[in-house]
Amino acid sequence: MSRPAFSPEGLTLGISLVAMGVLWTLSNLGQVDLLYTLRTWWPVTLVLWGGLELVDLAIRRAASREP
Amino acid sequence: MSSQPPEPESPAPGAPPALPPGPVQAGPYVQLPKSPGLAAFLSFLPGLGQVYNGQIARALVFFFGWVGSIYLTASGHEFPFAFVIPFVFLFNIIDAWKGATAINQRFLGGKEEKATEDTVESPLWGGSLVAIGVLVLLSNMGWLDLDRLAQWWPLLLIAVGGYFIYGSIQKKKAEDATDEPPSIQP
Repeated sequence: MSRPAFSPEGLTLGISLVAMGVLWTLSNLGQVDLLYTLRTWWPVTLVLWGGLELVDLAIRRAASREP
Repeated sequence: MSSQPPEPESPAPGAPPALPPGPVQAGPYVQLPKSPGLAAFLSFLPGLGQVYNGQIARALVFFFGWVGSIYLTASGHEFPFAFVIPFVFLFNIIDAWKGATAINQRFLGGKEEKATEDTVESPLWGGSLVAIGVLVLLSNMGWLDLDRLAQWWPLLLIAVGGYFIYGSIQKKKAEDATDEPPSIQP
């Protein structure tokens, strides 16, 4: 029960870094305003992290109910 | 003719003591892998204690959470980020301490503390993250005025107090259920 199904922090960090890389590349190509986008959308990482924590909890609870 | 009793075998000076395979038995001379005190001390720079524990993802989350909340407070978003700074700072110290303790418990072949499991198993942490993220996102998009919402912050105290009352009642119920003797069937 206490073993995590996956690491929510690690997954959040990985997805955030990939998103950051994509945004930075697009910014270098002149497609997006990097600072504006980050300032507006950074709370999505909190939502993602919290959501993954809840999914992780649900998976572990379901696993602990299995015989 | 004098014969000396054989001396017990001892490891070479300076060599670390050999540990038996499998779960390590707790003894007075077992060197634990992590020091919870040092982890907590290093966490005065948020994230460093987690680096010491080998939890790099957590370290980055705490460091950027701390730096980000300071930056946002300084740039005019006192609410809610002025509250987030001490929360991140204290939670990071407690997390580093608990992380080191859990690593030591695993090294000794024991189970992690019940208190840690209770915290980890609660949906409160994930739910809080989602709620804060949605509020700040709505504010950033101009659909919600956080400054107007600030007057309602004492509701947080009520919610936290209610949570503790609920937890206390649940704990008492669980203790009563454990203490109850089994009923005797006639």
